Amino acid sequence: MVGLGQSRPPILEVSDLTHDYGEVVALSGLSVEVPTGVIGLVGANGAGKTTLLRLMLGLLHPTSGSLQVLGHDPQQEPLVVRSRIGYMPEGDCLPKDQTAADFVSYAAQLAGIPPREAKRRSSETLFLVGLEEERFRFLGDFSTGMQQRVKLAQAIVHDPDLLLLDEPASGLDPEGRTQMLDLIKRLSTFDINVIVSSHVLTDIEQTCDWVIMLDAGNLLRNGPLKGFEMLGTVLVEVLERPEEVAAAIRAEGVDVAVDGMRMVVGPGDETIEPLVLAAAAASGSGLVRMIRGSSSLEDLFLERETAT
Amino acid sequence: MTDQVLYDRGYRTYDGPRLGTAGARKAVYKDGVRRVLGLGRKARQKIFPWSLIVIAIIAAAVFIGIHWAIGNIEESLRQQIPTYGGLFDFYSGISLLFIALAGPQLLIPDRTKGVLSVYFSRPLTVDGYLVSKVGAFATVVGAIYIVPQIVLHLGLALIAEEGFLTYLGDNLDILWKVPVTTMAFIAVHGAVVFALSAVIDRTGIAAAAFLGILFAGAAVAGRVAEAGFAGSRYFALLAVDHHPRIVRDHFFGDTVAYAPEQAGFEVWVSVVAIVALAVASALFVRYRYRRLA
Repeated sequence: MVGLGQSRPPILEVSDLTHDYGEVVALSGLSVEVPTGVIGLVGANGAGKTTLLRLMLGLLHPTSGSLQVLGHDPQQEPLVVRSRIGYMPEGDCLPKDQTAADFVSYAAQLAGIPPREAKRRSSETLFLVGLEEERFRFLGDFSTGMQQRVKLAQAIVHDPDLLLLDEPASGLDPEGRTQMLDLIKRLSTFDINVIVSSHVLTDIEQTCDWVIMLDAGNLLRNGPLKGFEMLGTVLVEVLERPEEVAAAIRAEGVDVAVDGMRMVVGPGDETIEPLVLAAAAASGSGLVRMIRGSSSLEDLFLERETAT
Repeated sequence: MTDQVLYDRGYRTYDGPRLGTAGARKAVYKDGVRRVLGLGRKARQKIFPWSLIVIAIIAAAVFIGIHWAIGNIEESLRQQIPTYGGLFDFYSGISLLFIALAGPQLLIPDRTKGVLSVYFSRPLTVDGYLVSKVGAFATVVGAIYIVPQIVLHLGLALIAEEGFLTYLGDNLDILWKVPVTTMAFIAVHGAVVFALSAVIDRTGIAAAAFLGILFAGAAVAGRVAEAGFAGSRYFALLAVDHHPRIVRDHFFGDTVAYAPEQAGFEVWVSVVAIVALAVASALFVRYRYRRLA
């Protein structure tokens, strides 16, 4: 299983990367280092996610700066990089007049897999994504959910080291979305690194263990998802002297909003809880409860976007 | 209760050979051939290409039959029956219809259905993609020209008075004249249909535009060339469909005077025009696809 691999070579190293389309700057001075695992690439439409994916594939050339994908420069060695990557585009990419089995087999051959093996892997991969019964049907007859599965199958059929998924759950109903996210989570158990680009933050929360946040081409945050969750607020209720407790916490530079015997402390990381305990003990106040608020990635994204 | 167990086969890693860019180009080539022949597609997509192929083969057999029948009546009459050159006229008609269908099918669906994003996320360059598509096109269209010519050649040898081997020995020049003439037709028709298919999003419109340029374009160019104003004769060179026919006539004997010939151009001018058209189309299509990739 691929987990967060800080000790393993990064799958993506970006250094001061800028890309513009004339007047429009899609990425501005981006520098990130991304470990192995399932990575979320988050941002609103136009944040620069697809541009970054296309730069990784060597389909676009940086205006300035550089990037390394799996240890290779996609500008210098695009074919080497592409032979190790699987890409699921956001938009339509399926020929409607081919069967799923034929197309996925063809996609494998495009990645250099010999024809006989490509056919075998096509069947296995379509089985994996739950289309074993439908594999000889024409793609034009598939529902949106089935087409998304075929798009995923063509991206993984050649056993890539890195999978780039551009809005994989786009256009799916809630059930289809859940199934797609489950499939993506499952890929990490097959030693495939995944970068999931999405503007639906709950999708990222459900699937990823590392997050890159982009906003209008700028980096908002790059780090483990766990760290994001820990930056929420903590709800505290004391028995007496809430103002004294709040003052002791504020003295440590942490925000506190008091409402009767209750207070909201933070936002902040896991150091808040010991701080509250110490403040309550110093004030001689009893602690009724202390609960960390489950602020979503979306809250944090909106908060940071507003701050910038 | 049942003893049946559902096994999850999971995902198998792949440690076998990877054929790289050569494998990718070969895959595009094979898929191109299958696509224009309708293989692996719905039945209705097979009807048109295979009907034309069957007509082409039957026509070759009919030509041989006519030669044989007329030869039995009066051998000297056989000289008046079209052979290789005449057959090109017939097959260029069939191939024009075939190309109008096959050329747009090779390029347009990949572009309009977003499949290019899959191609160019693989170890495949724009040049590799286009060369493979041209190869597939040339293979199938070339076969439509050459296979019936081979059938005709062998048929004529079988019914020849001088004997099978003697006929083949006396007509060795056919072995290069037919392929060279075929290349001239493929170059002109391929150049036009690929250039159109690179910019038009509907296969039907591209097919109509292709036939329009070849038929109406030749007629208009011929008329303008005859107008008599200074430099008007150069418009005859825009009758692109006439150039491969001039090459064919050069090898197999004149049939009619085409617009460039009427305007006083030699056969070498047609050869240059064919090469120029093919190169211009290749550069245009390449430019277009490098922007799309």
